[in-house]
Amino acid sequence: MNENCNPLHAPYYADHAVQLTVEVVENVQLARDTYRIRFACPSLAASITPGQFVMLRLADMQDPLLGRPLAMYDVYRDADGAAVGIDVVYLVHGKLTSKLARCAPGQRLEVWGPLGNGFPGQQVDHLIMVAGGIGQTPFVALGKEYLGRQAYGDPPRQGASAGKVTMCYGARSAEYLAGVEDFRACGIDVKISTDDGSAGHHGLVTDLLNAALDASTAGVQIACCGPERMMESVATIAAQRNVPCWVSLETPMACGIGICFTCVAKVRQDDGSWDYKRTCVEGPIFAAEKIDWE
Amino acid sequence: MSASLSVEIGSLRLANPILVASGTFGYAREMAGMVDVGRLGGIVPKTITQAPRAGNAPWRTVETTAGLLNSIGLDNDGIDAFIEHHLPYLGQLASPAIVSIAGRTSEEFTQMAARLSQYDEVGAIELNISCPNVSGGVDFGICPETCRDLIASVRAQCTKPLLAKLTPNVARIADVAAAAEEGGADGISAINTLLGMAVDWRRQKPLLGNVMGGLSGPAIKPVALRCVYQIAQRVKIPVIGIGGIGTIDDVMEFLVAGATAVQIGTANFNDPTVSMRLLDQMPAALAELGAASIQEIIGSLQPKSQPAPNVLGSPVA
Ligand SMILES: Cc1cc2nc3c(=O)[nH]c(=O)nc-3n(C[C@H](O)[C@H](O)[C@H](O)COP(=O)(O)OP(=O)(O)OC[C@H]3O[C@@H](n4cnc5c(N)ncnc54)[C@H](O)[C@@H]3O)c2cc1C
Ligand SMILES: Cc1cc2nc3c(=O)[nH]c(=O)nc-3n(C[C@H](O)[C@H](O)[C@H](O)COP(=O)(O)O)c2cc1C
Repeated sequence: MNENCNPLHAPYYADHAVQLTVEVVENVQLARDTYRIRFACPSLAASITPGQFVMLRLADMQDPLLGRPLAMYDVYRDADGAAVGIDVVYLVHGKLTSKLARCAPGQRLEVWGPLGNGFPGQQVDHLIMVAGGIGQTPFVALGKEYLGRQAYGDPPRQGASAGKVTMCYGARSAEYLAGVEDFRACGIDVKISTDDGSAGHHGLVTDLLNAALDASTAGVQIACCGPERMMESVATIAAQRNVPCWVSLETPMACGIGICFTCVAKVRQDDGSWDYKRTCVEGPIFAAEKIDWE
Repeated sequence: MSASLSVEIGSLRLANPILVASGTFGYAREMAGMVDVGRLGGIVPKTITQAPRAGNAPWRTVETTAGLLNSIGLDNDGIDAFIEHHLPYLGQLASPAIVSIAGRTSEEFTQMAARLSQYDEVGAIELNISCPNVSGGVDFGICPETCRDLIASVRAQCTKPLLAKLTPNVARIADVAAAAEEGGADGISAINTLLGMAVDWRRQKPLLGNVMGGLSGPAIKPVALRCVYQIAQRVKIPVIGIGGIGTIDDVMEFLVAGATAVQIGTANFNDPTVSMRLLDQMPAALAELGAASIQEIIGSLQPKSQPAPNVLGSPVA
């Protein structure tokens, strides 16, 4: 059957996802309440692209019961460059992540992915990534890909490129800034803001965005991930300045694969009305103008 | 030789007793990449209604201790879209589709069932008279007489095997099951979710958009097992056990307690390939009981023997 004929089917089902039981290889603290966990999963690591996520939970445990969506931070590789596994960076937040923070190497995790659409791979002059807090996690891989440092996907995805990549990274305070060296190491121009002024610009990340847009010439693309209010502000700026913007929604999910209808967001339809769409199989990345923020 | 796994629900023959529950497997297409959907004993797609429904406002689910509260609110595109877009896909699968419907009135249920009866792709119809998240539907699953009359009305217009999916949120579920049997149901699916709620005391607000929702997952298994047992004692038609099933032990417990088949629900969320693993494990579990067919296991629960007297001669508490 030709599925393209079915308007009810979502575009990004878990058709290439695998479910694996993996062991924690390492789990290191990067910043306050922020950790990077690494596990081996060669096939998943080979196929995942920036902006895609995995569902993760502790194996053999019924509390917490459900997996949690976590973005791919980066793929780690062997000496020959072959994908071995993935890194995930998480903020200790609730039930699962507080248990995760106490996981030692060898702890078994249940993982399924890659899931969701990931960021598009396009040719742009200037990619500006705007991150609020833990919303920074998809951007190391995205920056690396757009700067031509690393290809992702199986077969490796072609066509994503940017002459320049800027990262506007806003955090509560300096102690929450995580992985800044990782961003700088791959050639990303990192600008920082904090709410309390303890590092970088004292103010909002949108101030950094406005400054970056003022300084930039044609061919800008924005990619944004963070708290909903911040993404809404970024979407508004992008609309005012007529700059295309992708947002990665962080809607809570129960399954990550389109079967529970938990993670719905109001998405604008072609006729101007909105409909609840499952962010896991329609997103999590959307063109900003498609989202009805309320 | 491994034991036969096939079971019958009315005139519907299932290759095995592992089915997936409505609202927890999408319309099957979603799962096709991770699960060999054609191996399932049957597929119950998400409940459809006459008209499209947007569903409830978020939050739609909240995780609780070993469980999940949901108030999805029957988010679906309506029966027309289902027949046009989802049924052709379901029809080409090797597993029968047991189409779940919910109506606000007896007429709506009857019309939908009559319409679906015309399609070869429909293996059976499950009447969702137990959804806690919409007003209407659930009422038919509470009062035995209303339930019987509804089933009888649908039965008169429906040529497919008919299942009644019951709510545990009643005083005596076996009475409702008996009424469904009297009305002409070919089987009972039990249970739907238990009504519950979750509260954020700091904000002094309910967590679910719809305030209350249905509890599912491992937390409800003992309740589901009790319901299935009570129903199986009471009716002659097959019972499909649902509620907190996620391991082969859970499956076997339901079969022994009287279920002819089971549906996997919430476990699909936290363990997407669970149904395939259960299918793989089924033959060994039957072999452990020395069973040549699954029929030997269904309802094989033995009466509990008298408690052994303790040293003082009174029964151990
Ligand atoms: C695509 C995607 C990628 C993500 N990537 C990352 C990442 O890389 N790193 C990272 O740290 N986080 C990421 N997140 C967010 C992460 O999944 C959540 O923060 C997750 O809930 C943490 O799990 P927990 O068990 O620690 O918290 P939980 O115990 O689940 O609680 C988290 C918070 O969410 C609230 N909550 C619970 N259920 C709901 C609901 N149904 N609706 C709204 N709020 C609810 C709770 O009140 C609580 O404050 C991502 C989310 C998405 C959708
Ligand atoms: C998110 C969610 C959505 C559900 N939607 C439906 C539905 O549309 N129709 C229905 O009959 N049951 C629905 N159910 C109930 C399940 O089919 C099942 O009866 C119940 O969850 C108990 O089984 P479990 O503990 O294995 O999940 C839903 C359950 C969940 C968790």
